[in-house]
Amino acid sequence: MTRVNLLLLVAVLLTALYLVRTQYESRRIFVELEKATSQGRKLELDNETLQAEKRSQATPLRVDRLAKDKLQMLPATAAITQYVPYREAAAAAPGKP
Amino acid sequence: MSRSVRYSSSPLLASKTPVWRSKFIVAAIALGFAGLAARAAHIQIFGNEFFQRQGEVRFVRTLELPASRGRILDRNGLILASSIPAQSVWAIPEDVVISPQQLAELARLLDMPASVLDARLSNEDRTFVWLKRQVDETIAKQIVALNIKGLYQRKEYKRQYPDGEATAHVVGFANVENLGQEGMELTFDKELSGRPGSRRVIKDRLGRVIEDVREQEPPVDGKDLQLSIDSKVQFFAYQKLRETVLVHKAKAGSVVVLDAVTGEVLALANYPSYVPDKRRNLSGEQLRNRAVTDTFEPGSTMKPITVAMALEAGRVTPQTLIETGPGRFTMGGFTIRDTHDYGTLTVEGVIQKSSNVGALKIAQKLTPNEMWDTFTALGYGQKPQIQFPGAVTGRVRPWKTWRPVEQATMSYGYGLSASLFQMAHSYTAFAHDGRIIPLTMLKSTEPAVGVRVFSPENAHAVRRMLQMAAAPGGTGQLAQTVGYSVGGKSGTAHKQVGKGYASNKYRAWFTGMAPIDKPRIIVAVMIDEPSNGQYFGGLVAAPVFSETVQQTLRMMGLPPDLAVKPQIVTNPVEESF
Repeated sequence: MTRVNLLLLVAVLLTALYLVRTQYESRRIFVELEKATSQGRKLELDNETLQAEKRSQATPLRVDRLAKDKLQMLPATAAITQYVPYREAAAAAPGKP
Repeated sequence: MSRSVRYSSSPLLASKTPVWRSKFIVAAIALGFAGLAARAAHIQIFGNEFFQRQGEVRFVRTLELPASRGRILDRNGLILASSIPAQSVWAIPEDVVISPQQLAELARLLDMPASVLDARLSNEDRTFVWLKRQVDETIAKQIVALNIKGLYQRKEYKRQYPDGEATAHVVGFANVENLGQEGMELTFDKELSGRPGSRRVIKDRLGRVIEDVREQEPPVDGKDLQLSIDSKVQFFAYQKLRETVLVHKAKAGSVVVLDAVTGEVLALANYPSYVPDKRRNLSGEQLRNRAVTDTFEPGSTMKPITVAMALEAGRVTPQTLIETGPGRFTMGGFTIRDTHDYGTLTVEGVIQKSSNVGALKIAQKLTPNEMWDTFTALGYGQKPQIQFPGAVTGRVRPWKTWRPVEQATMSYGYGLSASLFQMAHSYTAFAHDGRIIPLTMLKSTEPAVGVRVFSPENAHAVRRMLQMAAAPGGTGQLAQTVGYSVGGKSGTAHKQVGKGYASNKYRAWFTGMAPIDKPRIIVAVMIDEPSNGQYFGGLVAAPVFSETVQQTLRMMGLPPDLAVKPQIVTNPVEESF
């Protein structure tokens, strides 16, 4: 009887220690997860900021100004556009599916 | 037995202490245990909630998970408004330790006078003071680098509007609390804001989250809003409008571009405008979205509607002759004049030459009731069904109160008022083969289903008249554009000042469509008080129409419907062997 009790005591002690360790591990991993999640969120925000930045660098106003001032371009009109009928263009390029 | 020792009577063992003492100890211990049991019961059963709560207060925290505000996109998915992180700088004045150099540097970074900053920081009665909300990240980092004690930062989100003043009136803006204040930001505030979530967590002594206490409530992010606006068309229309207002020294101007097939608003711009990111010292003049909030007497742009009514009622045909000589007509003590004596004109000619006398004679063939019904069907005097804050109804008085002279003046656009937006909307009836279509600010690819007001033949006949009006011999020749057939009506209205009309203040209009056989777009332009010599709609507003049509149709990828004399100059290609 005593032996069984001792065995059980040892078992209880071991599982108790294991429980403590598991709890510790789980918390540690949870903290890691939190860190990764918040980093993910930060990257998402960075992405958003950069998208906004990219867009503000390519606004019609800026493009228009740069095209006119730096590249001496003019707004295109129908008069200076070559219109190519699409079907004929496709037919004129044999060998393509 | 009798000789044996009687231990109990042994003098050594005989207890000198009385029995009650041991009993007392036992009772005391028992009482102690009972006390403990009662306390345990108190803690675990009766006072359980209180202690649970106290425990939680010490290590459980509720974190708010902010929902991000949705973006506003144009029809091609380009960003018109988005939220980016920004830091708000705050301080606890009594804790602040700052040297004069640091103060000067901080004032420079925050872009505010050092004296104002100093006043805020030295107000020690207050335990919290905002120094500046929503500072850019780069500046925020420099402020952190100054290392000032008592100064803190809080992360917030700031709205950014890349297209600036060109789309200001459409998109509107949200305030520092991220609440929509104007335009689409206000109309769709609920959809854009989303709902913040929350989570209960256990934090350790270092402040790290180590466990979720219960299922977290995830935040619902605001939905992205895709508008019908095309940011390139919008930009171009705004640029053109701005140029025109400045060249003609006008007070203001508006332009509206509609898709005549789907009823989408492709562009809606006003000048003067404002930069939504910098909202200091804004005036009502700049803020007003004139195209939808201001009503005016539309003048001659109403004439095609009068003619369409008469055609629809079968009172005239496009070739019916109308006598407009000698260029003036007196009724009810008022004399109505034309700019020239046009003699006898066809109904088409009345539109082409924009004859007031002709228009009123056509209107005389109609009853007030008929006119009122059509005005109402075309949306005049009705609240526009558009998702815009502050859209006005304009004014068309009940037909029973009309005097004959008023019916006459309404035929050429005086005595009733409408916004530019309503004007453009009513022209969808001509563009859409007689059906007036609902307009939308949101992207839609389906052709709109409209309500019939005119027959397709009559709509077509009016389109022909509009084309004549914008052709040589018409009042709106400058509306013509390379490669695309256009049709439209100019208007020049005296401005109402007080109870009468100002003789030298005008409003110039042009409303039209292109390509005329199968209209894809409707463009309406209004210039307020052009005062640089020219003031006729055909001279001031028509050029804005022309260039806007050219660029819009090109951007829509529509091939020209008129023969174009190409001006393409290319270098001859050298043949190779």
